[in-house]
Amino acid sequence: MAPKKDPKAAAKKAPEPAPAPAPAPAPAPAPPPKPAGVDLSAVKVEFTPDQIEDYKEAFGLFDRVGDNKVAYNQIADMMRALGQNPTNKEVNKILGNPSADEMVHKRIEFEAFLPMLQFIINSPNKAGFEDYVEGLRVFDKEGNGTVMGAELRIVLSTLGEKMTEAEIDALMAGQEDENGCVNYEAFVKHIMSV
Amino acid sequence: MGCGVTKSNQFHKQSGKAVTTIKAAVLIQRWYRQYVARTEMRRRYTWHIFQSIEYSGEQAQIKLYNFLGYLMDNFTPSSNERNLISHIFRENEVCRDAEWERYFCYKSIEVPEIYSGPHLTFPLTVEQAVGLVEAFRTKKQLHSRYVLQLLLETWKLLRMLPNINRISTCQSKEITICGDLHGQLEDLLLIFYKNGMPSLEKPYVFNGDFVDRGKDSIEILLVLFSFLLVYPSDVYLNRGNHEDHIVNLRYGFTKEVLTKYKMHGKRILKLLQKIFSWLPLATVIDQKVLVLHGGISDSTDLNLLARVGRHSYVSALRPPKKRHITSAGTSIDSDMDEDIWSTNRRRASLTYPKPLGTRESFQNRSLQDFSDRIRVNVEDELEIDKRRQPIFNRSEKETNPSASSDSVSSDNIKEEWKQILDLLWSDPMSQNGCIPNEVRGGGCYWGPDVTEDFLNRHNLQLIIRSHECKQDGYEFCHNRKVLTLFSASNYYDVGSNRGAYVKLGPDLVPYMIQYQASSMTRELTVRQSVGQTERSALKVLREQLFAHRSDLICAFRKFDSGNTGLLSLHDWASAVESVMHLGLPWRMLRYQLVTRKTSDGMIEYHEWFNELAIKGPNTDHIDQSLLETLYRHRSTLETIFRIVDTDNSGFITIEDFRQTWKLLSVYLKMEITDEAISDLAVTIDSNQDGSIDIDEFMEAFRLTDKKSRLERGRSMFMGTAPDLTKLEGDPNI
Repeated sequence: MAPKKDPKAAAKKAPEPAPAPAPAPAPAPAPPPKPAGVDLSAVKVEFTPDQIEDYKEAFGLFDRVGDNKVAYNQIADMMRALGQNPTNKEVNKILGNPSADEMVHKRIEFEAFLPMLQFIINSPNKAGFEDYVEGLRVFDKEGNGTVMGAELRIVLSTLGEKMTEAEIDALMAGQEDENGCVNYEAFVKHIMSV
Repeated sequence: MGCGVTKSNQFHKQSGKAVTTIKAAVLIQRWYRQYVARTEMRRRYTWHIFQSIEYSGEQAQIKLYNFLGYLMDNFTPSSNERNLISHIFRENEVCRDAEWERYFCYKSIEVPEIYSGPHLTFPLTVEQAVGLVEAFRTKKQLHSRYVLQLLLETWKLLRMLPNINRISTCQSKEITICGDLHGQLEDLLLIFYKNGMPSLEKPYVFNGDFVDRGKDSIEILLVLFSFLLVYPSDVYLNRGNHEDHIVNLRYGFTKEVLTKYKMHGKRILKLLQKIFSWLPLATVIDQKVLVLHGGISDSTDLNLLARVGRHSYVSALRPPKKRHITSAGTSIDSDMDEDIWSTNRRRASLTYPKPLGTRESFQNRSLQDFSDRIRVNVEDELEIDKRRQPIFNRSEKETNPSASSDSVSSDNIKEEWKQILDLLWSDPMSQNGCIPNEVRGGGCYWGPDVTEDFLNRHNLQLIIRSHECKQDGYEFCHNRKVLTLFSASNYYDVGSNRGAYVKLGPDLVPYMIQYQASSMTRELTVRQSVGQTERSALKVLREQLFAHRSDLICAFRKFDSGNTGLLSLHDWASAVESVMHLGLPWRMLRYQLVTRKTSDGMIEYHEWFNELAIKGPNTDHIDQSLLETLYRHRSTLETIFRIVDTDNSGFITIEDFRQTWKLLSVYLKMEITDEAISDLAVTIDSNQDGSIDIDEFMEAFRLTDKKSRLERGRSMFMGTAPDLTKLEGDPNI
């Protein structure tokens, strides 16, 4: 595809419907999905100019069409690429629980993305190294620092935000020893070093 | 009751545990998805790096070529400098077809006893074609006698084919379509392994770019041509932008052939020039699916394309030759430029460069500046030509009355030329419209509206094209009306992308199969292969940055008015982009490119260059700016050397070496003193015999060390020759 930084990206297309304010982060996602507004009313964006430039670059990298927008179904990944850790459920909530079709076709521009990112950053659900290790320790039946790879696979594919077999394979690649056990502290260290 | 209480206790325990388990699972899943997203981000910018450098290389190539063409038009025929480069433009000396057949005659070439490769007899049989594949798989080389014979047969066949192949999926045949192969034999073998070889039941379309970059381009051609000869109704070849001898000079195919075929390589290349020009331009399947290499423009007209004399366009980069019919009824090819030239009296000389005529833009210093001023699109070519016409026509009309009528048909030729250029070089874009493809320097960018219009006008439903590397080997765009197909896996580096081929049955629904050659990639985890490719891309990028040092320092100074030596990240990124024009996410890349920052986050740019600085061997005595030129323009330099090396010996005389540098100095509008050039020559003419080994010279000025290159194997950025172990060459071949 053509490089996006060219001026031709300015040549534009069909106008979007006028953005309406998105629902405030409320528990019940009652209102029908609308494109996010410039101000997520309850959220104050507190990024430094440097941070905003960084985010803008990442945004540009995810924009595969060249219209300076990103699709709904890319928002979660973008936030993750920027170091956040939202669940898919959390992101759907912010987007107003869009339908599957909307996830693919609706697009959002950078200014509307910022308050969403801020909201996620503000939310208290941060997990660090210890949390992950604790999380894996649940499966450490013998208390010896290892978990059974097989058990981990079953849990990851059946509970929570289920992972596919391919995802699990990629996750576990090279981690199981000859007994099918995974040393989870080393595991977490290794993969957190990305 | 006891039981009830126990039960409910157990229940609470279990449900408590269940909750923890779920929480743990969610935690792991969230972490994993973050890891995937971050890896994906790295993969994307790595891709960006490779692709933008690749395209800017193509652009540089075209500019160089245009520059040379411009020089050609402005020098006397007798001047030495002109002779130096004229033979690449003199595509066919005035010659008859019969004379060509004599030149390409293979009959006198003996095949020695010790030759262990395949022997071919004609007409070719399928057993021989299959045998050839097997021979190449086991690293044998085909003897030049058979190569020439095979190519001659191919040439004869191609001459009978129309510009646009028309095939059908009747009798429930599925057609297999392959995209760019770029000399990567391993991928072709993998496709044959997975899909079967071409046969009556298994028709194939190969969509161009068979050669360049990979190390087995000639083998791929020989395989494709032999199947073409065996199954002429079931194998279809489309021309790509790399089926072009000018492009081949830069991107490795010329070098590959000359290295593998030391004695007869030049003839083989000449014959291939003709073959490339006779390759069909496109294929239509069931009158509904169009397969072509690059793409379309808003003026693409299949009816016009069906009528052009495609073989006149030996290189898509320049206007075609004219074909005269003599009174004897035989056809003679001559250079259109030659004709115009012969009536022109303008004179200038390389040794005394003066501001040259219409293109004032040569006042600029760097290639980047140059690129901004010279807009290499056809409209400009036509513009410039129109401006030139008045000067020529006056003398033409006086001396050569037929020339004026030729200028009318020359407009037609320009129109045809544009059609072919668009076909071979264009890329799709997501916005509507059609604009010149400035990134590559040829063809255009076309939008979904142009696709829609084109398909309706020609009553088609799908365009299948190649030309662009895609991570998954293929990609749809324009509302699934355009499919990009790329068959060279690991193109940028090991693990960079998959290849794909398409199967099309009577329902005309494309079915994609992906693959990735090389056992190395299968053993790497995603993370490892992304990491490896990323390191490779960054290395290349650092070289590029280093090679633009003086321009970068200049740009930095502009932002640093107080001359503190420090820049904010924002300014650094802006300055770098303004010089490099690669459209890369510099802020994101800074972690890998800049390791030192002051405590308040500022970048010391001088220090940064010291970090980047890479020292080559024995280069201390050479002028710094000259060295930078060498690094920055090494591909261009090597291309020019190969052009100058008229007998393709791999050596040029000191005198020619000097002249080459003079040429480059005009091109870049740089001062290069004789003394500086002598310093350069001394560096490599170690045997003092007055001639310079081109390879040796280029080696001396490589930025990365040889070992890492060889380990990496095939990386196009390490020069034009992908396989860097110098083949001694079997003298018997």
